[in-house]
Amino acid sequence: MNQAIISCLHANLPAVEAVLKDIELQGITNITCLGDLVGYGPQPNEVIELIRDKKIPTCQGCWDEDVVDGLDACDCSYPSQLAERRGHFAHQWTTDKLTKENKDYLANLPYSIRKDKCLFVHGSPNSQHEYLLPDMDAFAALERVENARAEILFCGHTHQPYIRELADGSIAVKIKNAVPKDTQEKEIQLPMRRIVNAGSVGEPRHGGTKATYVVHNEVTNEVKIREVEYDIELTCKAIIDSGLPPIFAWRLKNGFEFAEQAEDASHVCER
Amino acid sequence: MIERWALVSGLKGDLDTYELIQKDLKKTPGNISLFVLGDMIGPEKNCNKLLHRLINPKSNDLQPWCIYGWWEEQILLESGYRGDQRAEALRINKGEELVKSLTNAVDKSFLDWIAALQFGFVELDCGLIHGSSKDVGENLTLETAPLTLLDRLTRLQVNRLFTARSKQQFHLELKEGIVNSEVEDLNGNRKKEQKVPQKAVIGIGAGKNYTLYDVGTDNTQFVQAGYKSEKRIKGFGRL
Ligand SMILES: [Zn+2]
Ligand SMILES: [Zn+2]
Repeated sequence: MNQAIISCLHANLPAVEAVLKDIELQGITNITCLGDLVGYGPQPNEVIELIRDKKIPTCQGCWDEDVVDGLDACDCSYPSQLAERRGHFAHQWTTDKLTKENKDYLANLPYSIRKDKCLFVHGSPNSQHEYLLPDMDAFAALERVENARAEILFCGHTHQPYIRELADGSIAVKIKNAVPKDTQEKEIQLPMRRIVNAGSVGEPRHGGTKATYVVHNEVTNEVKIREVEYDIELTCKAIIDSGLPPIFAWRLKNGFEFAEQAEDASHVCER
Repeated sequence: MIERWALVSGLKGDLDTYELIQKDLKKTPGNISLFVLGDMIGPEKNCNKLLHRLINPKSNDLQPWCIYGWWEEQILLESGYRGDQRAEALRINKGEELVKSLTNAVDKSFLDWIAALQFGFVELDCGLIHGSSKDVGENLTLETAPLTLLDRLTRLQVNRLFTARSKQQFHLELKEGIVNSEVEDLNGNRKKEQKVPQKAVIGIGAGKNYTLYDVGTDNTQFVQAGYKSEKRIKGFGRL
């Protein structure tokens, strides 16, 4: 049985529609969304209503949380002051645009969703704002999955899709300075765990311009990253027409990594 | 001269114990730095004399370097130093009476000094904190999962973490850590074997039980104030 995991839709309706179509064409009905339905993009209400309509279980993303609770992102979210100002503008624009009903919907989204050995979160099990980047410290990454009591952790937030396997781990523990009865030295085997980042449907930051998401086979445990083309021009036009910063459109069209993202992979977000 | 750290916590207003420790340290050879890792205050006894002494050391006292601990956090919460929050967890778990005892134990004139204390110190490649780098209230013990300990070390980017919250005294070394990481993304596959250099977490004890750390040799001694310190080597019993 295949399940599809989507994340970071960011109010980009043409991208969401294209990805849902791609999922449908594969005959997949089991979909989980990792949040960030809104932010950056021009169609926040439309995207929320589509997800609600299709009854897709969704976690709360960092934007979904912030739009409801006021800005909560730690400074690590923005690489520059200019980026921060743009982010704040998009935040205000989205807050003004959202209907009360859709705001309530975002406010009541769960922080995480658990299905057997799979845990679904937006950023990390610690916070919607923490980035689990593909090359972060392997032990810290393993700790996130293990302390969340999961075997596979599905996350988003970085907008870069990846599959990371952490295997064959071990560590020796020695109690120094112990009296004989509790003198100990032992080797502890660390479990094999996986982190799967679903990338971003509506605001890709993987270098290309296509929307990304992942498909997980629950029997074989195989995970595939999917890339989907969508009508970028349509979204770009809507961004310009709505008065959002034109760089948001430029970014979608060029696929460069000028996105607002943490640059320090080792940073541990304290939020 | 040998460089030594004395690590103390959980005095909770006990000036007598603090004086005993100061007396001990005068007889301890080496160049000693004294760190007080929080819980200088508590609800059990009046803490004003101890606080006064920490802020105004006697001329022959070793200068104490203090950080805040769990009880300091509670009084700061309760006194409005942390925004709208109050010490609700304490109130729910231990009752209104205890919250009152705590606020009565500390004169308000000390609150600004407490509020200015740091969360922890980083000295050389060592982190000195009350609980953990994640939370002032987190207990790190011998039973804490090694991955959790590693994470708390990584957060401070240190090789040794001195912690007090659990009140236990221990010196746990983590070594020969290894994990294989394989990342697949749209650019392909990459494999990496990650190792951790030797790291350690040291529980320093509380109250009369404190720890001496020899910076040059990385050895710890667990000491009880008022008793001659004895190095605990394998084969030797507890004091
Ligand atoms: Zn996002
Ligand atoms: Zn996010």
